[in-house]
Amino acid sequence: MIALQKIEKTYKSSNGMVHALKGINVTIAQGEIFGIIGTSGAGKSTLIRCINMLERPTKGTVTVDGQELTALSELELREERKKIGMIFQHFNLLSSRTVYQNIAFPLELAHCSKEAIDKEVMHLLNLVGLLDKKDQYPAQLSGGQKQRVGIARALANHPKVLLCDEATSALDPQTTKSILGLLKNINREFGLTIILITHEMQVIKEICDKVAVIEGGLIIEQGTVLDVFTKPKANTTKEFISNIINHNLPDIFDDLNLSPIPTENSNLIVRLSFLGHSAEEPVISSMIRRFDIDASILHGNIDHIQTTPFGTLIVELSGEANSLEQALAYLQTRELGIEVIGYVSRHADIIS
Amino acid sequence: MSPDMLILLAKSLWETTYMVAVSGFISALVGVPLGIILATTDKRHILENPPLNQVLGVIVNAARSTPFIILMVAIIPLTRLLVGTSIGTNAAIVPLSIAAIPFVARIVESALKEVDYGVIEAAQAMGASPREIITKVLLPEAMPAIILGLTLTIISLIGYSAMAGAIGGGGLGDLAIRYGYQRFRADIMLITVIILIGQVQLVQSTGDYLARRLNKK
Repeated sequence: MIALQKIEKTYKSSNGMVHALKGINVTIAQGEIFGIIGTSGAGKSTLIRCINMLERPTKGTVTVDGQELTALSELELREERKKIGMIFQHFNLLSSRTVYQNIAFPLELAHCSKEAIDKEVMHLLNLVGLLDKKDQYPAQLSGGQKQRVGIARALANHPKVLLCDEATSALDPQTTKSILGLLKNINREFGLTIILITHEMQVIKEICDKVAVIEGGLIIEQGTVLDVFTKPKANTTKEFISNIINHNLPDIFDDLNLSPIPTENSNLIVRLSFLGHSAEEPVISSMIRRFDIDASILHGNIDHIQTTPFGTLIVELSGEANSLEQALAYLQTRELGIEVIGYVSRHADIIS
Repeated sequence: MSPDMLILLAKSLWETTYMVAVSGFISALVGVPLGIILATTDKRHILENPPLNQVLGVIVNAARSTPFIILMVAIIPLTRLLVGTSIGTNAAIVPLSIAAIPFVARIVESALKEVDYGVIEAAQAMGASPREIITKVLLPEAMPAIILGLTLTIISLIGYSAMAGAIGGGGLGDLAIRYGYQRFRADIMLITVIILIGQVQLVQSTGDYLARRLNKK
């Protein structure tokens, strides 16, 4: 649906040339919700503006729905833009127009008849739940309501793609949830491809199918949200994820004398991560039954990435060195993530 | 006060109103488009064109920095060319308009630049052409500020029109000088000043009212 190839963007600024994007390759499939996450200054705003050519890439090609936008003239580009909706962090509504007139605006630009505009606007007002606000001005609306107007306006021309530029960053968590819910519904109902940029991992976790992490003008990691969340590779990614899923060891482990290899009379501490179906398997109890060991749970956490359960457990296993080895080998054959944190001498008081 | 005096006052009031109205209209007619060009050809705006912007900027500044009384005399040849004479109410309209055009242009320019660029970007994202952005986004969004700016222009023109007496333009200011000052008629002086104050008040409150009505922020 959307292909960005080798996108580069350089600006001239007062401090010389700024290399905002340094060769971005992204492919987004029809009907996907694709999230791009990065800190401020990472280039995510520039990147999303390249998709509808509000910023013309210095190098590279942008293809949306089979049409190479980078090859078009200004005039042709304007027609193509009508098929790409966009919503903004600060909503960018026309303050001199009512809610109704704001939603009608793109239809006026497309030279629709008054009747067609009225039909479409009423339908959209209903969709975003603002029928009773139709004659109010943006200044009279709350942030969430303004963004709903923004969404209705973006959908007016029946776009195939919706670009969301930090669409929820100016909203409180409650309102963010409702706006994300609305976007998800629209995605399901109309098969609309949604690309959103954000600095909040929560947003990605809530609605995205795929995610790309951008840093310093480059995509440093991308994949399905489940993959990136459960197996983050880059440090920046880990940092983003740690805000909502804790991959770091709890502080209590800091003071322990952990040894990477078994010592005499030591217990094994492992971290197990469960994903989807593996979370339903009774791995620990069957391990205890099979091998002569004990297990105590030191730390646990369960989360949902959209509808998939994802949990981590930190377990201390005690028993004969031999049994521990076998238990570890057994765990490694199961469908779960396993990470040996270390061995600790048996009488150490872990939870103090 | 004699009936002659009243007729003179009425005639002067009409002359002032006529000069201000016509030159106000002409200055808006030329100044608004000029202001639009100044705003949109600036750096990082929708019709970015630095050479054009700078040339227009210099011309506008030159016209604005010339004192009105000097401008009036300096452009007498132009006035003659346009009106056929350099004396009278119609002749005064030429320098008044020329003085007000750059004033309006700068006011419109700054009003348009106050429009949040995000809104312009949103219109671009919807496929709006520069012409559509100007007519459907910039002007409506900046209208309250433009109305207040035009109000200010009209008030300045009322003040300038008093100087038009120097080239026989007539009007209330001229009356105040010829009768009130030169013939020591304090009553005429007082009454013209009161009428001028009333006129300015009326223009200002009408402008304020319109701007308030249009401002939905």
